[in-house]
Amino acid sequence: MRFGRTGIPISGTSRWVPAAGLLVVGAVVAGIFLSRAVALAAPTQPLPYSHEVHAEAGVQCLFCHTGALRSDVAGLPSVQKCIGCHALISTEEESIQVLTGYWERAEPIPWVRVQSQPDFVFFSHQPHLGAGLPCETCHGDVARMTIARPVVRMDMGWCLECHLEQPQEKVARLADCLACHK
Amino acid sequence: MTKSISRRQFFRIAGGTAAATGISPKLRRILSEPFVRPPEDVLPGRATWYASTCRQCPAGCGIIVRVINGRAKKIEGNPLHPLNRGKLCARGQAGLQVLYNPDRLRNAVRQTGGRGSRQFEPLYWDAALDLLAEKIRALSNPGRLAVLAGLMPDHLYRLLSLLLESLGAAPPVIFDLHSALEGRAAAARSSEVFFGAAELPVYDVGRSDVVFSFGANFLETWMSPVAQSVAYGNMRQGAFGGRGLLVQFEPRLSATAASADQWIPLRPGTEGFVALALGRIIVEERLGHVGSHRPHAALYQDVDVTEMAAASRVPIESLRRLARLFADAEHPVAIPGGSLAGQQNGAASMLAVHALNHVVAQVGRVGGVFLSSPGPTAMLRQTARVDSFAQVQDLIERMKAGEVDLLLAVGGNPVFELPATAGFAAAIERVPYVVSFGSFVDETAVRADLILPEHTYLESWGYQVPEPGADRPAVSGQQPVVRSLYDTQASADVLLGLASRLGGRPSEALPWPDEISFLEETVRDLHGSSLGAYDADTPAGFFALWRQYGGWWSERELPREPVVAEAVIQPLPIVAPQFVGDERTYPFHLHPYPSVALSDGRGANLPWLQETPDPMTTARWSTWVELNPEVARSLGIGDDDIVRVISPHGELEAPVVVYPGIHPDVVAIPVGQGHTDYGRFARRRGSNPLDLVAPVAAADGGALAWGATRVRLEVTGRRQTLARLESLDGAGRESLG
Repeated sequence: MRFGRTGIPISGTSRWVPAAGLLVVGAVVAGIFLSRAVALAAPTQPLPYSHEVHAEAGVQCLFCHTGALRSDVAGLPSVQKCIGCHALISTEEESIQVLTGYWERAEPIPWVRVQSQPDFVFFSHQPHLGAGLPCETCHGDVARMTIARPVVRMDMGWCLECHLEQPQEKVARLADCLACHK
Repeated sequence: MTKSISRRQFFRIAGGTAAATGISPKLRRILSEPFVRPPEDVLPGRATWYASTCRQCPAGCGIIVRVINGRAKKIEGNPLHPLNRGKLCARGQAGLQVLYNPDRLRNAVRQTGGRGSRQFEPLYWDAALDLLAEKIRALSNPGRLAVLAGLMPDHLYRLLSLLLESLGAAPPVIFDLHSALEGRAAAARSSEVFFGAAELPVYDVGRSDVVFSFGANFLETWMSPVAQSVAYGNMRQGAFGGRGLLVQFEPRLSATAASADQWIPLRPGTEGFVALALGRIIVEERLGHVGSHRPHAALYQDVDVTEMAAASRVPIESLRRLARLFADAEHPVAIPGGSLAGQQNGAASMLAVHALNHVVAQVGRVGGVFLSSPGPTAMLRQTARVDSFAQVQDLIERMKAGEVDLLLAVGGNPVFELPATAGFAAAIERVPYVVSFGSFVDETAVRADLILPEHTYLESWGYQVPEPGADRPAVSGQQPVVRSLYDTQASADVLLGLASRLGGRPSEALPWPDEISFLEETVRDLHGSSLGAYDADTPAGFFALWRQYGGWWSERELPREPVVAEAVIQPLPIVAPQFVGDERTYPFHLHPYPSVALSDGRGANLPWLQETPDPMTTARWSTWVELNPEVARSLGIGDDDIVRVISPHGELEAPVVVYPGIHPDVVAIPVGQGHTDYGRFARRRGSNPLDLVAPVAAADGGALAWGATRVRLEVTGRRQTLARLESLDGAGRESLG
């Protein structure tokens, strides 16, 4: 029998290896769940913009994210667009004063991206909206969120789930590698 | 065999793994910054292409720049532009690194700690312009104002000339090393003697079947390399009947010579002798198919082929064979290049080469030599002309004598680009106030009191009539592709602001409120021309199309035939080259040559260009000395051994590249490195061969004779491995076996 540094008896590999293996697996599983939780959390934004408030006021998604119909990216509204309304609306709110500060300093607002795709994925909003998909399908019910957060991890399996369910004549094209990895 | 791990260690590792797995997505925090005020024509995520003009060299190629979300991402050649036809060189591609360079000056500055202190105090532009206006007003007489400039776009040159004229000051003295290396001044001068027009001829290489290039590295840096490369491709692919043939005559095998069918190594300064001998043989033996050679006989009456062959050490049989090859061709052309102009007998050599075109009647004929037709662009043609080296020396003398109170350095970098012993660095110390207009703190700007950084060319307006031109009248238009990144100003706007502050004659001469209104008014002259590739009903519509096309050009080809001047009937001059340094003490000729990537050193602050390997040696990021293998063997040295190169005017040390493509009498060093300032990528890297060059001009008031210096070599016994793209010849292949 040998003794470890802490005085706990260690008997070679026989007793420790299964326990150690179990702990490593446990740690990795915990890590995956933890990472999932972090990935789907709302990021800290430079000002507490609420989608819910704007949606309740009847503002459509495409009013601010104008690129979605015509471009690859939906785009974020310019500070000029925000101030277009907030020069008059809720000007006494603290968050609006932060916004006005950006406008007056002519500084862009450093928003933290909520959704992103890696470089090797060529995603475009335009064909998805062209196919009649509503925004909620991928982005969740943003109208009920304050700070937007991702609802799904947009990985390849998730994309394919939908692409493979399309009508037979379209599947071959939609499941082609080059559809997204150009 | 068991390795003991304590439980504590184990938990530490397991916990760390879990934390690392969990934290990783959080580290990917991407910021997305939308516009404060969006430009009207920008759709996020979609590229907008703007047509503009490249300013990385004076050629004036058309470019299109891909811009996404207000950021310039990629530069390509403008496919509509008649000069470069959609192609672009490496230096043009690297323009993005000029725009995004971390060493750019971000606002106007005053050097407060004295010259060379590099202590800069930011200034508001209004204050800076007031300061400069005050300095001009305080001059006791306008003759005490001097402007030293590099080649600049035409609109800036025109405004600068107008301002100086209205002040009663002398016109700018124009010098830059790139122009000196390509022999721009000498080419314009020989064209004036030969064709009576001081402009650069256009060689119709694309439709030629035999091209004799005398030291013109026309596929690399000489004149308009992209246009010439397109033409070379046409010549080789036989677009106009059969595969064309290229023979290159020069001391060092350049990349152009490597693309040639034959390279004839020559001793520096003997190119003209070869051309004279070829001409004499053609006339004497009545070669070719131009009918009578009687009118040409006078040209060569003093030429003795045997003497010329002896002086150039090219065997007479080779000369005869080459003469027949040239004269028997349908569309031959001979090109006098830059390495001729770097010699003291440059003018005579260039005339001798021009005469070859005359003797085979290829002046103004398909595949021969042309001048570019100005068409309606004539009024825009107020192009900067490179001045003779004597004029530069005269300015240096005036500065030394204390006759200059205010010096404006507009473009160019004379401290780096002039031979060290020309004394410019010392002369600038005698000038009480120096103003630089560069975007970077280069060797000249660091000796300035006030720096007014200009926009980079991707942020500013302008136009340029390309010279040498295309096969038709053309003007390249320049426009901003992005908003200016920093608080810089277009030099044209600085001049206009200055004129309005000075009031009186300057403000009358330069009445425009800003650069754009000046440009709009100038461009209006082209509106309504029947030649144009486009036209519009209104001037505003025309200006919109001007911006979309990136300039204006004729829809169809419009050649202009040069007329051979009377002077050419006289016997051609035979001038022996002269060199600085005694032949016994200094046995080698120094051959500085422009780097394909760095040109005359202006590209040294761009890492993409530093990384671009020299096409012949694959070396980069440094300076090296090219030696013939025989010379290296006689000195007992090899690749990467450091040698000291000593001229009567200076010395430098650099590692050796043993290079078979060089005349044994010649030591070649690429130009471009050896900066002491000019940003983090350029500084303290290699040496500047201009430190060795004697400050002498070609005999007849020509440009700097940069190839007229002799050197000797000393072995230092030290080594330094050069950064190369390829391993040394043979070594890599042996290890593969």
